[in-house]
Amino acid sequence: MENLKWRKSDISYEKQIHFSKRDYSFQSENAGEFITKSLANAYWFFISDVDGDNCPFRPTCSAFLLQSAKETNIFQASLMFFDRFTRDMNIAKGHDHYPRVSAGYYYDPPQNYTLNQGRIKYLPPAFIVDDE
Amino acid sequence: MRNFLTIIFLIPLTVHPQSSSFDFHSPENVKKFADHLFCEEDYLRAIEQYELINQKMDNDTIKFKVMLGYSELGFFSESNDFFRGINDKSIFYPDAYLLSFKNQLISEPGLIIAPSIISFNAFQMKSFCKLINISMLYEDKFNISKENFIAPFDAEELNSVSTFYDYKVEPPYKSPALAGLLSAVIPGSGKMYVGEWGDGITALVVTSLFAFLAYDNFHADHTTRAWIFTGLGAFFYAGNIYGSVASAQIFNARIDFDFNNGLELFLKQQNYFLPDYDFCE
Repeated sequence: MENLKWRKSDISYEKQIHFSKRDYSFQSENAGEFITKSLANAYWFFISDVDGDNCPFRPTCSAFLLQSAKETNIFQASLMFFDRFTRDMNIAKGHDHYPRVSAGYYYDPPQNYTLNQGRIKYLPPAFIVDDE
Repeated sequence: MRNFLTIIFLIPLTVHPQSSSFDFHSPENVKKFADHLFCEEDYLRAIEQYELINQKMDNDTIKFKVMLGYSELGFFSESNDFFRGINDKSIFYPDAYLLSFKNQLISEPGLIIAPSIISFNAFQMKSFCKLINISMLYEDKFNISKENFIAPFDAEELNSVSTFYDYKVEPPYKSPALAGLLSAVIPGSGKMYVGEWGDGITALVVTSLFAFLAYDNFHADHTTRAWIFTGLGAFFYAGNIYGSVASAQIFNARIDFDFNNGLELFLKQQNYFLPDYDFCE
């Protein structure tokens, strides 16, 4: 009830750059996570940080792989990654059925692809997700 | 002289509003203020004022208005708490009963189980039957005939209600197994089956490309390159089968989402089959 009353809101105009939030540490709970983290770290360091922010999705494809490995196992995470990579390469650029994050990227979390129907959180294309 | 007369004239104006003879905090005046806030749709402050006098006045109209206000604000459990305080002999009891069903349907969508039968008028009984039937749509087990389901609804509601019934009985789901099978036979066809044509064609092109590169390199005795392309092609192929199954599941989640959203919109448009209570005339 108290939250409904008018009160001053603290607004931040700082633009968040997802590069700065990258965690290069090798902390992982199992071998699968360690392998995917090593691949992602190498990709970030040698390619992505140099090439720039080109992935139209959030989480990015590399972050999708890492999160998939945390959610499932390395084998399933690999399949999820190759499927995501195919969707990323969509020759018709048919990405309009994804919701977006506030920065304009398409929101496509790995939780929707674990093949667990109960974990799918469908959001319509017009929906804007608050955080990345 | 003119200044003196002005002062004499102004003194009563400044003194009278501060006089203690007018009790702003009497229950009657607080109620008047709360009624004004309620009519202005400032339910939050109206409820604060009503709650100040609720204990002193013990009035079912106040309790029902607080219940209505909480419901409008989206505090459904608080709203239902006030329902328990309303006397079952009160003229507001049947309306409060129906309002509690609305609160339940919004906060915890599912089958409404009426704890007791009470005396409704014809309109209230119709609303009650409509709410009960609509609540069945939220249950997994749905085995009521269409005739019985649509019976309580009015002519202008029949079209929408009939569509909801058909969607519930035969939702236009896509089979995840069939999507996976199609992609196993022709890469990308499972994605096309669920309507993702761009992804399907891309999968077909990428998998075919790696298959050709693998074949061509084996043919030219470039074994290492051939195995790399084979591995990549196999991962794209398997990933596409996996992705087709996942896409069909997401498609089905979209069907459920659209169904629930459409139902919610319909119920809001119909005001959950409750009348518009007007306390401000």
